[in-house]
Amino acid sequence: MAPGDTATLTGLHEELARWISTATLEGEVARIATSARDLLAKALASPEADRAEHIDEAARLLASMTSCEPALQEAPAAVASPPKPAEPAAAPAGRPIVDDGFEIFETGTPTPRNETPGATMTLASAQERELMGEFVVEARQNLADAEAALLELEAHPDDKQAIDRVFRAFHTVKGVSAMLGFNAIAAFAHAAESLLSRIRTGELRCTGRNATLTLRAIDALRGCIDGVEKSLDGTSPLELPGTLAALIGALGAPDTGRGAATDVGALPAIPVDVPLASEIAGTRVPGKGDGDSAWMRVRTDRLDRLIDMVGELVIAQSMVSQDPVLVMPKHEEFRKKVAHGAKIVRELQDLSMSLRMVPLKSTFQKLNRVVRDVVQRTEKDVRFFTDGDETEIDRNMVDVVADPLVHMVRNAVDHGVESKEERIAAGKPAQGTVRLSAFHSGGHLVLRLSDDGKGMDRKAIAAKAIERGIIRSDAAMTEDEVLNLIFEPGFSTRDTVTDISGRGVGMDVVKRGVEALKGRIETTTVLGKGTTFTIHVPLTLSITDGMLVRVGQERFILPTVAIRTSFRPTKDMLSKVAGRGEFVRVRDEFVSVFRLHHIFDIEGAEQDPTKALVVVVDYGEGRSAFLVDELLTQQQVVSKGLASSLLTVPGVAGGAILGDGRVGLILDPPGLVALAHQTNGWVNAA
Amino acid sequence: MASSEHGATVGGKYLTFGLGEEEYGVRIENVHEIMALIPVTRVPRTPDVVLGVINLRGKIVPVFDMHRKFGMPATVPTRHTCIIVVSVDKMEVGIVVDRVREVVNIKADQVEPPPSFGADVPTDHLLGIATSSGGARLLLAIEKVLATSEVVSVTSAAEASKSAA
Repeated sequence: MAPGDTATLTGLHEELARWISTATLEGEVARIATSARDLLAKALASPEADRAEHIDEAARLLASMTSCEPALQEAPAAVASPPKPAEPAAAPAGRPIVDDGFEIFETGTPTPRNETPGATMTLASAQERELMGEFVVEARQNLADAEAALLELEAHPDDKQAIDRVFRAFHTVKGVSAMLGFNAIAAFAHAAESLLSRIRTGELRCTGRNATLTLRAIDALRGCIDGVEKSLDGTSPLELPGTLAALIGALGAPDTGRGAATDVGALPAIPVDVPLASEIAGTRVPGKGDGDSAWMRVRTDRLDRLIDMVGELVIAQSMVSQDPVLVMPKHEEFRKKVAHGAKIVRELQDLSMSLRMVPLKSTFQKLNRVVRDVVQRTEKDVRFFTDGDETEIDRNMVDVVADPLVHMVRNAVDHGVESKEERIAAGKPAQGTVRLSAFHSGGHLVLRLSDDGKGMDRKAIAAKAIERGIIRSDAAMTEDEVLNLIFEPGFSTRDTVTDISGRGVGMDVVKRGVEALKGRIETTTVLGKGTTFTIHVPLTLSITDGMLVRVGQERFILPTVAIRTSFRPTKDMLSKVAGRGEFVRVRDEFVSVFRLHHIFDIEGAEQDPTKALVVVVDYGEGRSAFLVDELLTQQQVVSKGLASSLLTVPGVAGGAILGDGRVGLILDPPGLVALAHQTNGWVNAA
Repeated sequence: MASSEHGATVGGKYLTFGLGEEEYGVRIENVHEIMALIPVTRVPRTPDVVLGVINLRGKIVPVFDMHRKFGMPATVPTRHTCIIVVSVDKMEVGIVVDRVREVVNIKADQVEPPPSFGADVPTDHLLGIATSSGGARLLLAIEKVLATSEVVSVTSAAEASKSAA
């Protein structure tokens, strides 16, 4: 704080004065606090140039309180770091009882780190770094909680529990960062906390500008936390976002609602002396714990290794269970023991698979924020509902799923839902609805996003696709095929799509994202009524549903999701182009056939297609067929990159351990086709 | 490698194994484990040196044929044929050898620098030749053995795919 910042200084003085009057102070503490208050008053009365001295003195006094009253450490600890004693953090938090309730940090005087927003500093010992690492994780969680609560608060400005949750999150971040010596972060969190405390007392409303300010504060703190995390390696200095100072200023000048007198009038005044501590103590447990489980953080590499080993155990166990020795009558007892072991192993496997599963909750929270931001920008009125945020998904997939979802939700609000005027003109309620639900179905995660907007006009889509040169004519296309044009790269740009369908901005990106997850996306739309996108993705990327195929003496796994059909062709279904490119007729369509044994140079495979099998495979934009000897069995395999084995081979997506303990290679259809073309060219040249 | 530091770096324990008529040694620190030859899954379109991949307790590990590596005809498996799992740059790699002999302690002064055979016979991958009662043993710098072109190319491809993942 600059000595010239009268507003902050006034605030500080008021806070201190209020603290002295509400908290029961005794003896030395009371004396020091009063002196500090008087010094601040003196500083306020002095010309700006002379203030620093008084402020410094007040800070020293507050700092000295640390030693006489442990229960009151909160207030002075934050100021006890010269040379910037007059940081907003100097305010004794107004309600010491609150802090008393669950403050376990802020012991003693933190080591000052002379960081300033936008500036850099160096970090400390390994032990400290470990603490900081935990701080990073906790702070992120706290900020996510705060964000969620804030969005609730915006919808229900009188939700006291929500404001308490936001407040508490900021407070915790402030406390821990002060303890770790991140004074600039603590000061910033304090500034935000001060605003929140004014909201909490009912002085301000958490709407419009104030809500935006607080959300910005959350973003800025996230930036700070990212900075802390980056500096954890001990070599890079801490970099904080450069916007902190400006934001602190903005936080000090909130929307007091004076412009809108009705707002203030409608506001029930909450007396300052409400026993907040007890409130918080009461709400804290249900607010924090989503249950009774205790949590523990585990290194992911250990977890992954554990899951790998359990997978191995399952295979080893099944090899024992299938041993021919077991069927002999004299081994009846042994067989029972093995069966018992198998049961335990199965349970262990289920459990280990669940370890990596996390609920979608945090993803949904992010989307809430996305909706809010778009709504603010477009001035639409949109309600965003989510169902099934407890639905679980593999941790590795959470972020990958989030990207397409963000895109789609933004589209739904920005382009799907009409403006208020349009909606009213169309006889719809002014408030639009976007609903996202998640549930498990058939071993897949289903995400369904629907809006009640204007829907998509197939004619307009076809016209645009023709204009953009994606198709020549839509005459032969089914309605669904027309609809799928929105996923074509180059179909849409912002304005064109907004004009015609209200959809399609970067939908090709969405589709690619979903396909990368081995998922698929379905679209239904009713013009004037709305659009629904349904995404199916597997629950985990590490398990592939595969069809084991045999070619000669070798076995491969084809991802089941890609397989359309398989059959033994008759002679008249097969044809050749120019004597080499082979085709097979599948209903009314000709599909090129590639012989797997040619591509991979496998000996002993069936040469006569009419004695082999054709497997038709869909991938990306194409459809091809592969000739294999036999389909063996369908099974779930845990796919492992071959990268760990130094080998990367075109046409092979990875490897998996098969039921007999051997490695099977998982085929990559697009890679195979590319390879086949290459091989053909090579053969022809020779 | 200068011969003065040569002596200091080559002394220590070696696992010795036979390839054809010759006797080789690898540093015991590089050896993870020794296992009987198990069925290897061939990986299409890889160089001859690459026999394929095996399942090493849930990890997929590539296996190289040392016969091919040193320009001999492919290994003919016998009941003595073994896979030695060695670590190269923190990655595990299997090498197929005809038989595993013993762990010996080789003193630095028993090791001669590799003689020069001219450009046709590269000796980069040799730490030196240990002479003792058992005859001459070729001490391998295993990371150099497996760091020649074909392994390097698959490694860099693997690295690329890893960083892309």
